[in-house]
Formats: sequence, C-alpha cells, structure tokens
Amino acid sequence: MGASPPSDPPPLTFAYQPMPDLDRPLRERLGQYPRVPDMTFDALRTVARWLAILLFRLQFPLEVRGAPPQADRVALVANHASHLDSLAVLASISERRRREIAVLAAKDYFFERLRTAVGGSFFAQAVSFDRTRYTELRRWSRILREQERGTLLVFPSGSRRRSEAHDAILFVLAKSGWIIVPVAIAGTAEAWPVGRAVWRPFRRIRVTFGEPAGEVPTKELAAFLGEFWRANA
Amino acid sequence: METFAQPLPAYTALAAVGIVLFGAFLRVTRLTAGWAPYRTWLVMLPVVFAALWLGVWGWAALVTVVSVYGFKEFARASGLYRERLFVLVVYAAIVAMNLAAVFGRFGLFMVAPVWAVGLLTLVPIVRNRTEGMLQGFALSVVGVVYFAWFLAHLTYLAIWQDGLGLVIYVVLATQLNDVLAFLTGKLFGRHRWTVLSPNKTVEGSLGALALSIAFAFLNWQLAFPRFPWWGVLAAGLIVGVGGQIGDLTLANFKRNIGIKDFGDLLPGHGGILDRLNSLTLVAPVFLHFARFFFDGFP
Repeated sequence: MGASPPSDPPPLTFAYQPMPDLDRPLRERLGQYPRVPDMTFDALRTVARWLAILLFRLQFPLEVRGAPPQADRVALVANHASHLDSLAVLASISERRRREIAVLAAKDYFFERLRTAVGGSFFAQAVSFDRTRYTELRRWSRILREQERGTLLVFPSGSRRRSEAHDAILFVLAKSGWIIVPVAIAGTAEAWPVGRAVWRPFRRIRVTFGEPAGEVPTKELAAFLGEFWRANA
Repeated sequence: METFAQPLPAYTALAAVGIVLFGAFLRVTRLTAGWAPYRTWLVMLPVVFAALWLGVWGWAALVTVVSVYGFKEFARASGLYRERLFVLVVYAAIVAMNLAAVFGRFGLFMVAPVWAVGLLTLVPIVRNRTEGMLQGFALSVVGVVYFAWFLAHLTYLAIWQDGLGLVIYVVLATQLNDVLAFLTGKLFGRHRWTVLSPNKTVEGSLGALALSIAFAFLNWQLAFPRFPWWGVLAAGLIVGVGGQIGDLTLANFKRNIGIKDFGDLLPGHGGILDRLNSLTLVAPVFLHFARFFFDGFP
C-alpha cells in the first residue's frame, strides 16, 4: 500500500469577472434600471444634476407645495407637458431622494442616440422605458417587485402632447406595491412649450405633491390623477 | 500657446486633406469594413486638434480624460471596477501624473508610479481584507504604469519647445501605423504570425513598419527638424515596432480576460483602449528616446 503520489497543485491564475453589463452599448448602460453602481457615471451624474438644478433655479421662480412621504419605494406620478417637468420635480425634492430617483423616459426618444442618452441620464436622471415593446410592462413589473427601495418619477401620459394617464403603468406600479404619489406641475408648459426650440426663462413654476393614493382602487387611479392634475396644474 | 508654433496649422491642414483622401481611397477600393472606423475618425480628429489648438492645458485635459476612460474600460473588463478604492487611487494617479507633466517636473513625473504603487499597498490594509487583494493590487499596478504613467508621457511630450510636432507626429503616426497595418494586411496579407492577434499577418506588419519609416522621413522638417537622419529612422522604428507591440499587449489582455473589445464608445474601433493600444508604448519610448539623445526636455 504505497501512498499515492501528490498531485500537482492547480496553476495559479487570476479569475476575471467582467462587469455584467460589459457587452451592452454605452447608451443602454446609461438607461438601465436598477442602475449598476459606477463611480464615474455616479460622479458625473451628481455634478450634472447640481448644474442642471442650479441653472433651473436661477431661471425659474419655483413654488413647492407639500412633499413626498419619507418612505422607500415611492413612485411620483406627474402630468407631462414640457421638457422642464423632470427638472422641476428634481428641484423640488431633497438631495437624498434626488440621488436615488430614476425618471422613466422613452427609449425611442432618449436612448437611441448617445448624446441624448448622456444628456438624459446625467442631467435628468433618466432611465430607459421601451414604450414600443409590448413585453416592457411585464419586465418593469418584475423589476419593481424585486426593488426594495428607490424613487421613481413617472409620466403616465407617455407624451407631452397627451394629458390623460395610461392605465397599464399605474396598474404595474400599484400591483408591485409602490407608493403612488400624485404630482402636479404647473407653468412648465408656458416656460418651454412643445415644439419650441428654446425655453422662456423667468416663468413661474409650481410643483404640488399630493397625498399617497393608497386607498384609491387601481381601476380608478387614472381618474384620480386626472382630477388631481386638473385641480393643481 | 507660445510653445505650439508652426506645425499645428500645417498638421491641421494635412489631417483634413488626409481624411478626405482616405475617404476617397475607401470608395475606390470598396473596402466596406473601413467605413465605420472612418466615420469615427471624422469625429476624433477634430477633438484631438481642438485640444491641441487650446494649448498644453487643453491637451493635458484630453489626455487625462482619455486615460481615465481607458483605465475604466480595463477595470470594467477585468472586474477590478468592483474594488472602488483601487480604482480611485489609479484615477488620482492619472490626474497627478498629468499635472506633474504639465508643470515639467521631470523628477516627480518619473517617481510618480512609486508613490502611486505605495498608495495602492495601503488599500488592502484600509479594507482589512485579503480575498482578491493580490489580484486587485496587481491589476491596479498595471493601471498605474500602463494607463496612467505611459499615457501621461503624451502630456510631457507637449511641453518641450519642439513638443507640438512630436506630439502630433506620435499620435498621427501611431494611428496611421494601425490603419496601414489593417490596409496592407487586408490587401496583401497571407501569413498569420501570432496567436495574440490571429488576424495579424507578416505582410501587414512589415508593410506598416516600412510605411511608418517612410512617414517619419516625410515628417522630418515639420515634426523634428533638429533630428539627424538616424533619429528620424529611429522615430519611424519606434512607431512601427512599438505601435504593434502595444497593440499586441492589449490584445493579450483581452484574450486573457476573454473579451473581444474593451467597449463600444468608438464605432468601428471598439473602446477607447482599442484605439489607444498602440500609443501606450510608443509615447514613453519616444519621449525617453528624444530626451536621451537630443536632451530636449526640462
């Protein structure tokens, strides 16, 4: 019974683990949610956000009524009539919430070209929502259920030219257990109307945060929001 | 701006003519594979020349940004990006080395890697962790030397009295060397010679080397008028050989990691590193060659 010869030790090798989104194009990486931590992008996003809000506050007198609740998994659901809407809401919330907020933005509008993806992601905290794909809501439903914290800004009308909310995204938000907070934005449509190339500074803008729509039945959310927007926007 | 005298307008005009001629060449030869990189060049060349026209600080800013992004690609591909502290130290080293270069502090510039590696040794101690730290440390040292220090030589080149010509020559000639290797390989390449980059052919590599030497002599009066003939020959050899070694070095990195490209920022090229690969080695070798033989730098 001789002892078996000692086997050679395994060769010493590095185990490379590339980042999971390595093979995705940059514009897709900028729009992904939840965001993969990226210190360069996070730093640039912080600087760009500060700059955008500073410029916004210097140009537009802002009145804020109410505040979003101090809770995790909050979806701010706002009316949409102007490119300034995202900045108006960003300027109205705390820096802690600004850091984590993600603004749902149309992929076909913001994330098909690198320059709009960079602008949207860095200056307006945008993430990509593919409104042309019919499985997108199912994907978001899964993402939202898995998220334990975060803040979303959603424009459920889907377009600056439409004033009524789409039911489907509200349904997904409600069923995923996120707190839906109605937000009414007034004055941005005059400050930067649809179709105009540049904005008009010094217009008064007002952002109103309503009470969470916890008790409102899912089917009536769109009507509830429409009423809130008409009363405050 | 004082430093950047005559070569800049001439090289700007040459680059504009070159890009038009290259477009015509692609159209005539119907090398469709060349169109995507060509379109990217139409963006990259103005960026490079705008930085040069802005002066030493503009150029240093571009080198710093490109180095940071290039190292980020390397860190994301190798997984080092998860170790934030290592990455932050390398980012800081990139900024510090380019500042040392702008201010012409040669001694500080030369020992900067020592200080950066010294800082890196603190990371496992600060993290109080051993797992993965050797790999993180080793990859970060590669980052400090290869992406921070080597590339910062491009900034240092620019501060010499004849530096502008050298910078433009090194950048353009190295990139041209890549294009020439690609074109001669496509047109005449038959014999592959390395597993590091299987598409490389003997014909392509030798063709690029010969044309790089010819390009150096064409640039003699514009880029390095004080060099003797053997200095110009050496300049061509440094670009022709060093460019291809730098290219193969990063190809080796990619094959070890198991990726095709470092990124997708530059359509038709890949990531920033896929474009800078040949410059990483040429820049330091060229600077120390010029400094040793022609004593040009402070």
